[in-house]
Amino acid sequence: MKIRIDHIAKIEGHASFTADIVKGDVKSAKIKIEEGARLFEGIMRGRNDVEIPELGSRICGVCPVVHNLTGFRALENAFSIEPKEDAVLLRKLMMMGQLVNSHALHLFFFSLSDFFGFKNDLELINEYPEKTHDAMKIRDVGNKLVEIIGGRTIHPLTPCIGGIRKAPDLEKLKLIFNECKTVLPLTIKLGELFIGLKYPDFQRKTSYVSLTSDKEYAIYEGDLKVDEKILKPVEFLGKVKEFQSGDRVAKRTNIVENLPERQKEHSYMTGALARLNNNREKLNSEAKKLLEKANLNFPLYNPFYNILGQAIELVHCFEESIKILEQIIDKQMDLGEMVVENRNGKGVGAIEAPRGTLFYDVKIKDGLVENINIITPTAQNIANLEDDLEEFEKIGGFKKLTLGEKKEKIKMLIRAYDPCVTCAVH
Amino acid sequence: MNKKPVVAILSLTCCEGCQVAIMDLGERFLEFLTKVDIGDFRLIEDLPDVDKYDIAIVEGTAITKEQVKRLKNVRKKSKILIAIGACACLGGVQELKNYRNKKEIIRQVYPNIRGIDNPKIKSVKEIVRVDLEIPGCPINKEEFFRIINEFLQGEIPKIEQKPVCEECPRKGKNCLLLLGKPCLGPISLAGCGAPCPTSDFPCDGCRGPREGINLEAMKKALKIKARLDDKQINMLLERFGKRNEIINNQLTSNLPIGRQASNK
Repeated sequence: MKIRIDHIAKIEGHASFTADIVKGDVKSAKIKIEEGARLFEGIMRGRNDVEIPELGSRICGVCPVVHNLTGFRALENAFSIEPKEDAVLLRKLMMMGQLVNSHALHLFFFSLSDFFGFKNDLELINEYPEKTHDAMKIRDVGNKLVEIIGGRTIHPLTPCIGGIRKAPDLEKLKLIFNECKTVLPLTIKLGELFIGLKYPDFQRKTSYVSLTSDKEYAIYEGDLKVDEKILKPVEFLGKVKEFQSGDRVAKRTNIVENLPERQKEHSYMTGALARLNNNREKLNSEAKKLLEKANLNFPLYNPFYNILGQAIELVHCFEESIKILEQIIDKQMDLGEMVVENRNGKGVGAIEAPRGTLFYDVKIKDGLVENINIITPTAQNIANLEDDLEEFEKIGGFKKLTLGEKKEKIKMLIRAYDPCVTCAVH
Repeated sequence: MNKKPVVAILSLTCCEGCQVAIMDLGERFLEFLTKVDIGDFRLIEDLPDVDKYDIAIVEGTAITKEQVKRLKNVRKKSKILIAIGACACLGGVQELKNYRNKKEIIRQVYPNIRGIDNPKIKSVKEIVRVDLEIPGCPINKEEFFRIINEFLQGEIPKIEQKPVCEECPRKGKNCLLLLGKPCLGPISLAGCGAPCPTSDFPCDGCRGPREGINLEAMKKALKIKARLDDKQINMLLERFGKRNEIINNQLTSNLPIGRQASNK
């Protein structure tokens, strides 16, 4: 029996799904990406180095901040520049806004309807008006964080090599500080709603990849954590193999392990669930309390919990924003742009995007882009998602489901990954 | 009782930031949803498509053959088609490949290029008739909200032809161009509220050229003030597909430039 789902709704971008069910076993599960190739890595070549972050942010309108900042981190590493401390704080704050805005969209508008069986968010909005307004409010504050620092919510303007071009308005920072405190309880309430949901019973062991840091719940900076091993971003990229399969237009990635006698390749997952698996001890206090309330066992191998992971991160992000704002309000900030004389070098930037670790690997010669490779979270997650779907018959009660119900459950898993198809192709 | 207008929001290949901008209207977006019937909006619903749209809002460029087909089909079933964002209006950043060897560019990205569509990038109006363009990368959500409401009230909205400079808070002695930055404000269509120069970021013309520009004067200013050479000026004009737009407009100078889009 063939399962075919055309144009999966409520994900970012266009994709479809096909698989066969042979004697109750899912076979040849394939995600087909239906997005055109914009060839970003090709069109950036030969252009000015500083255009990388600006053009890169156009890869994704849901997570433009992280593309922009990862581009700058790659350039700064290529030129051996350490951005100024105050600018780093502002960038971290922008990243909190980025995660909030993307997570809130995914949690409330893409995922929640699946749990209630609504085909249309309008039903959800009518049924849960108060929750809808809370979600809108939360998202709005996340947007404002980005706008106040970045100059606008989509495709930020102020980041520059070595810092931030323009200091945010102090009055606006004070206002947003209060707003963060107001919405924090709302995010906790929303988190409790997500704890109460019934997540499908499905487990598959895999590797979880995320940044990690001794100092904090790593988002803006850190080393890679992979199965308890810690690697520098460059070392990690050395283990990653990009490959084309199926649709060819979205490259997949695997980790290649060099075993004594042979090479072994496998898929891996990145994103909120990976971060929770790797770094949950570093969560801020309210987020940690929420996680405890959820009463989960780690390592958590059920990809549906990526959704709950995002809900918990939402709380963490507002706690973190409040912490950062306390440090920078009323402080004379040292931000400025740095002059770079020697614009040559190779560098990797790695930041935790809402959907997982984003990598920009650049080579600059005389201020022009000689080579660039961008590896997005969704590109990394597709292989893992396909491996999950390949074992989907292991989901609780699979045999009793009708074909229609099977399709709904498959769509639900795909949406739990929060795939960003435009990022995956780029 | 009047029937609610059927509105579809469709996305071709792009970053989808313009759809996000629409959702960023927040409470006003929710209110908008109550005033219309949604014909198609894959970002929030999973329902069968409908036969006719009163208004179709299209973002992105048609890159795959499927997307070209879909765009033509949407045109057929829509009374009004609005193109939103730099991609739909100008071609967007992906159009950069049009100025270079696109076969070489695709080989820089993919080892195996079989089955990957790599057409010349076209704006929406180069493929189907467009009734109105709301430009920008991303669109200004306030401008979008004004225009869509005017449509819903049966008015015919317009974007005033004036340069970004008129909305720029740095106009006068703080002008980025006068400070030596490569700012395209003088030739670019206003309506964005000038967020870029407000953030000390020179305008790079994502909204395309306004009517009646003096391109030679702009080029001269970029050479003298910002010290760009011809190649750098072209690279700047290419960024969102504006260079192509200016060339097209010069070829068809009897047609109104830009926003009240041309027929195809």
